[in-house]
Amino acid sequence: MLLEGRDVTVAFGAFRAVDGASVGVREGEVLGLIGPNGAGKSTFFNCLTGDLTPTQGSVHFAGQDVTRLPPEDRAALGIARSFQVPLTFEGMSVLDNVMIGAFLRTAHTGEARERAGAVIERVGLAPFAHASARSLGTPGRKRLEIARALATEPKVLLLDEAMAGLTPTEVRQAIALVRAIHQSGITLVIVEHIMEVIVTLAERVVVFNQGREIANGTPAEVTSEPQVIEAYLGKRAARAMRRGA
Amino acid sequence: MTATLLQVIAGGLLLGALYALFASGLTLIWGMMNVVNFAHGDFVMLAMYTSFVVWKTLGLGPAASVPIAALVLATVGIVAYFALVRHVMRAPMIAQILATFGLALFLRYGVFWYFGANFLSLPDNLVGGTYDIWGIRLPAARLLAGAVALLVTAGLHLLLTRTMLGSRMLAVAEDEAAAQLMGIRPHRMQAVAWGLAAGAAGIAGALISTFFYISPTVGETLAIVAFVTVSLGGFGSVPGALVAGLLIGVIESLSAYWIGAVYKDIVTYSLFVAVLWLRPQGLMGKA
Amino acid sequence: MGLLRRFLWPAIWLLVLLAFPLVWDTPFQQRLGTLVLLYAIAASAWNIVGGYAGQVSVGHVVFFGCGAYGALATYTHLGLPPIAGLPLGVAASVAIAAVVGVPTLRLSGHYFSMATIAVAELVRLVVANTEFLGAAVGLSGPTVPRSVLDLSFTSSLPYYYLFLAVLAGTLALTWRMENSRMGYYLRAIKDSERAARSLGAAASRYKMRAYLLSAALTAVAGSMYAIMIGFIDPESGLGILISVKILIMAALGGTGTLFGPLVGAAILVPLEEISNNVFGGGGAGLTFVVYGAVIMLLARFQPGGLLELLGRLRARAAGRGARRAA
Repeated sequence: MLLEGRDVTVAFGAFRAVDGASVGVREGEVLGLIGPNGAGKSTFFNCLTGDLTPTQGSVHFAGQDVTRLPPEDRAALGIARSFQVPLTFEGMSVLDNVMIGAFLRTAHTGEARERAGAVIERVGLAPFAHASARSLGTPGRKRLEIARALATEPKVLLLDEAMAGLTPTEVRQAIALVRAIHQSGITLVIVEHIMEVIVTLAERVVVFNQGREIANGTPAEVTSEPQVIEAYLGKRAARAMRRGA
Repeated sequence: MTATLLQVIAGGLLLGALYALFASGLTLIWGMMNVVNFAHGDFVMLAMYTSFVVWKTLGLGPAASVPIAALVLATVGIVAYFALVRHVMRAPMIAQILATFGLALFLRYGVFWYFGANFLSLPDNLVGGTYDIWGIRLPAARLLAGAVALLVTAGLHLLLTRTMLGSRMLAVAEDEAAAQLMGIRPHRMQAVAWGLAAGAAGIAGALISTFFYISPTVGETLAIVAFVTVSLGGFGSVPGALVAGLLIGVIESLSAYWIGAVYKDIVTYSLFVAVLWLRPQGLMGKA
Repeated sequence: MGLLRRFLWPAIWLLVLLAFPLVWDTPFQQRLGTLVLLYAIAASAWNIVGGYAGQVSVGHVVFFGCGAYGALATYTHLGLPPIAGLPLGVAASVAIAAVVGVPTLRLSGHYFSMATIAVAELVRLVVANTEFLGAAVGLSGPTVPRSVLDLSFTSSLPYYYLFLAVLAGTLALTWRMENSRMGYYLRAIKDSERAARSLGAAASRYKMRAYLLSAALTAVAGSMYAIMIGFIDPESGLGILISVKILIMAALGGTGTLFGPLVGAAILVPLEEISNNVFGGGGAGLTFVVYGAVIMLLARFQPGGLLELLGRLRARAAGRGARRAA
């Protein structure tokens, strides 16, 4: 396992948002995390990135216990993420946003600018490099967050609903981008609501419900389990699933 | 324990009740809107001058000055909210801090300019007499101030936890957008919070003025005392402010008694630094 | 054209600053210019933590006081030139900044602001009760210069150029920081601390660095002040109003901009001197009423300061011009 949470529990008072979940991603894999709203997948995700510290359990990255490491130290090890609601640096240009990521691997401003430029080219934001981040729409911001994360040269990239709020065309473009990122050798963890995305991208899916993992397998395996369909998918999504498979 | 020591502690508790009262206002606004009111000490100062004017022009004591100061300050608080605070709440933090800090300067030096820098005080016999309780001699002014402060603080706590108005305010504090969907007007609730907080400071100021000197800069010291109280009690918590206020009152009285009056503020401020290092979440806060 | 613009205006401004005390050469004007530069140093130093790092210190006078007391205590107790005490003042400032910053810069910015004002008052009270530091009476510098190292001059002119050099150094340092990784990180942290940390920017460490640098430079300003005035007491060296002046100058000109604090100082120092001359002692209160009002208005309508406003107006004018041309 490259990045792994073991027996992770996150309790807010008496409420357990995540209850003893053990989930890991292997090197080179694309792991999907799904589940209904409030199932604990985002909370678990934030334990992997260091935004939350688990109440119990531990998080390991490449054999190292990172449970107590803050997000900035995890970024240095090679863990990068995007946010569900984009947190782009609004007062900065697109290029400057990406430079913040590039500065993790170089202290030199000119070099950071060069590397950021290359990443911007790669994700297709080059025409907007000097526009302010504020001027981008939702798809642009989500793309910018991915660019910023890529600039940190991560080993594993965690995407938190990177496709939410996009039109079908934009989703297709985003899927192509994520595929390309995976092909470049980066391990991926994606939290997603849109089933089509999970089905097309993920090699393995973990389903969360009420803070616990209730299924773990290929998209086809997972979606055929009756309890998953009951707990989360519902009829409409289940149909979409069959179409996808 | 000697009678003197008991008397010092009793005096500290009475003073602490006042600290608790005006710190409750600070903690209420902080907890509800995540804004620190740097003018809070100057609200107390303004109330002390109000009380002085009430005595000077009408010849009346705390029975009149406490409600008048409460009304005047509640008005000041609501006006400050609508004219200033409301507009900076979504702005960067620097704008919030500048806004209330500017208000503090404006009030402090407005009073300085109008009344002058001289210390004023109310006549000693306004609330005259001394009570003797089990050998502890307590001036009536302090006894009255402490008792009223305790009652008002308790009332504020009940208002926040037991009434419809209180639950509406808490709803706004929890989630402004959700509260709005439930038909609560956040601005109105926040204005009420400013009115209550400033009104509490008004009552505290009118009470303090019966036994303490009045000067334009007294608010600065009081603001820092309120910061210490709130950080010790945990932000947003009125019961926390009560316990912390009483504790600080006793610590101040004891340090004034043991090491000397000039050092009591040094002890209080050092306590603040110690709290930040050791328990930044406050005594009552969760670890 | 580009090259001309890039070098012409800075050259003109530099010339103005160099020639100012020679053209406006009455003692009053020279002294005014000197004070503008002194406050510009302090406000620029404040700007590093308050503007660039977005952590609003309302007790910066404590560092000013460290520098001032460091200089005059060294003279009083060791008989050395006051300037020799500068490193002492800087060291004390850095130590105090660490005491305030380490616990608070991890928390919400409100804690930091409250702690800065409380610690500034704490230090003022301690100094006012410490005989070694002159207690309430204060400390004095050399009345008659023993050598040029005492930096004691009757004319303001030497101080003017000394302060100009220090200001240039401060701004050069700020400019370098602005364009380095630290400057980028600070802007990112101010915008979204969570996102910046996820990209590897150690937020509290960078805020701390900015605070330490700011504290050290403010101490330099304090030493400069003490050397020029030759006297320091708890009010003039550690009074809250100096914190207010430093803060309002930076905020008026524009926080987080290189020249904002200088612009703010160039506006407010003359205003205050004039109001003191016109109203006498009674004007002091009024000055700070106006300061309070200015701070509130800035926060309400123009938190970015005057330079930002100017930039916006210029952009609008340029936009109009372009439309008319088209």
